[in-house]
Amino acid sequence: MSEMSISVSAPTVHPGSQPLPEAPAKVTARNLNFYYGEHHALKNINLALGTNRVTAFIGPSGCGKSTLLRIFNRMYDLYPGQRATGQLLLDHTNILDPKLDLNLLRARVGMVFQKPTPFPMTIYENIAFGIRLYEKISKSEMDDRVEKALRGGALWNEVKDKLNASGLSLSGGQQQRLCIARTVAVRPEVILFDEPCSALDPISTAKVEELIQELSENYTIAIVTHNMQQAARVSDKTAFMYLGELIEFDDTSKIFTSPSDRRTQDYITGRFG
Amino acid sequence: MAVESNVIDAAGPYDRAKALSAFKLGDVTFYWITRLSAISVLLILGGIIISLIVGAFPAMKEYGISFLWTQRWAPSADPPVLGALGPMYGTLVTSFIAMLIAIPVGLGIAIFLTELCPQWLRRPIGMAVELLAGIPSIIYGMWGFFVLGPFLANTFQPFMIRVFDGVPVLGAIFAGPPSYLSLFNAALILAIMVLPFITSISVDVFKTVPPVLKEAAYGVGCTTWEVVRSVVIPYTRVGIIGGVMLALGRALGETMAVTFIIGNSFRISSSIFAPGTTISAAIASEFAESDGLHQSGLILLGLLLFVLTFFVLAAARLMLMRLETKAGK
Repeated sequence: MSEMSISVSAPTVHPGSQPLPEAPAKVTARNLNFYYGEHHALKNINLALGTNRVTAFIGPSGCGKSTLLRIFNRMYDLYPGQRATGQLLLDHTNILDPKLDLNLLRARVGMVFQKPTPFPMTIYENIAFGIRLYEKISKSEMDDRVEKALRGGALWNEVKDKLNASGLSLSGGQQQRLCIARTVAVRPEVILFDEPCSALDPISTAKVEELIQELSENYTIAIVTHNMQQAARVSDKTAFMYLGELIEFDDTSKIFTSPSDRRTQDYITGRFG
Repeated sequence: MAVESNVIDAAGPYDRAKALSAFKLGDVTFYWITRLSAISVLLILGGIIISLIVGAFPAMKEYGISFLWTQRWAPSADPPVLGALGPMYGTLVTSFIAMLIAIPVGLGIAIFLTELCPQWLRRPIGMAVELLAGIPSIIYGMWGFFVLGPFLANTFQPFMIRVFDGVPVLGAIFAGPPSYLSLFNAALILAIMVLPFITSISVDVFKTVPPVLKEAAYGVGCTTWEVVRSVVIPYTRVGIIGGVMLALGRALGETMAVTFIIGNSFRISSSIFAPGTTISAAIASEFAESDGLHQSGLILLGLLLFVLTFFVLAAARLMLMRLETKAGK
């Protein structure tokens, strides 16, 4: 973990961050359940991700945060024996519909992983690859799109002179921003971040957090994090999960200042987890 | 500190030194055993090359460099006329066609097994592929001679000949008459024989692709085909080429099965349905009854196969290096 300090008290919420007005729901879960084979991993989850808002998911390891995230783009479908029941809507599309075009869904719901995952190709190709899946555009248009995506990932200035270097030659923090740029390049509507900073140093972490805030102007964002300061800094709403249940879901400022559930309070003040 | 070390010394300096020297002896022995094992490889390789050169010397002196482009092979003429063009051509063509068939099929099986196959079917197919590698080559030869050869000559060959009749170039490659014994039959058997190498190595390297990398590719909306083409294969490229090289090495040198079904004809024909021969098949079928210059010529063929294999492997290495530069590593 790359927490900069270890604090026992509840993290302070960004000063002056008044709760934003309620946004219309982008993703809505109703009575969502998830099973790994026999294991009942998520129990009756009900929540809504507001459009162009950042929603943070916190909770001790194994509480189901990442599992929930992987339902939003049906990533669990890659593995046999995993299944979800209930209702999960992206606007009006039923994400759990078995007939849904998964490639299209994943283009609408992008994902950034815990470890940076650049593809084994050049920096330029890493971005162009995703775009090419959906659009046939000319070389000059592609150049523009790649530049725009890299600027969107706050990486352009660092890599503009070496676009043909391998994506693997970048530092960990740069690789992660490359992955964010790659996700943005496909123009998704929702971006899922699964502990995006846990493998990064504090400076890279700060850059990624800043990026997430900027992205939230145009994208609906869900972020799983073990770093409560991070949740407090970047998110508008926070969901606290414990043992597969959604314990509390509210404005971030409320969760971190006056949580209504005892367990939430214990967790954010570091008494367990 | 000084006091402490004195105490330790006093506890038994003799025992400790003795134990250490015993370790040292073990280390030296171990070093020499491993070193001799490694050197023995060089000695064996050098010995084989020298004895091949010595054995081939009379033929080299007699035919010189023109051995390489003489097609005629008449060991019973007086004096014998020997040329390596036919066997060299046969070796390269059969290996090339075999790889042309085995690489896509082998990779296809590997991709299916690792990415698409339902769990219950994985083991049977995987085991069948391993078993394919365990079949002795003489069995392939017999099967090719009695079953595959007649089958191809009665169905596939006439069909291809009819389809490409009159087409420039391809018409000459697929020209009649159909034959039980042909370059193509040998190449097909070779393809089946090298398939397990390509498949099992590819399966192993495909399994090394981190799941999260594949998830990331699926995450931008790739189909399975796109994930395999753009992420799995580039990521494992070096391993796949290694497997292909191993297979190619086997195809170039495979003897028994090929000798059975290639027809042992030294004449070069443009058609792949015509009989031909390979270097190893020529040596296997003639060496027992050869003597003098004829035998020396066969040894020279063996030396050529050695050199040929070396160059093919060197070319593959070179290709690999260029691929890596291109990928920006």
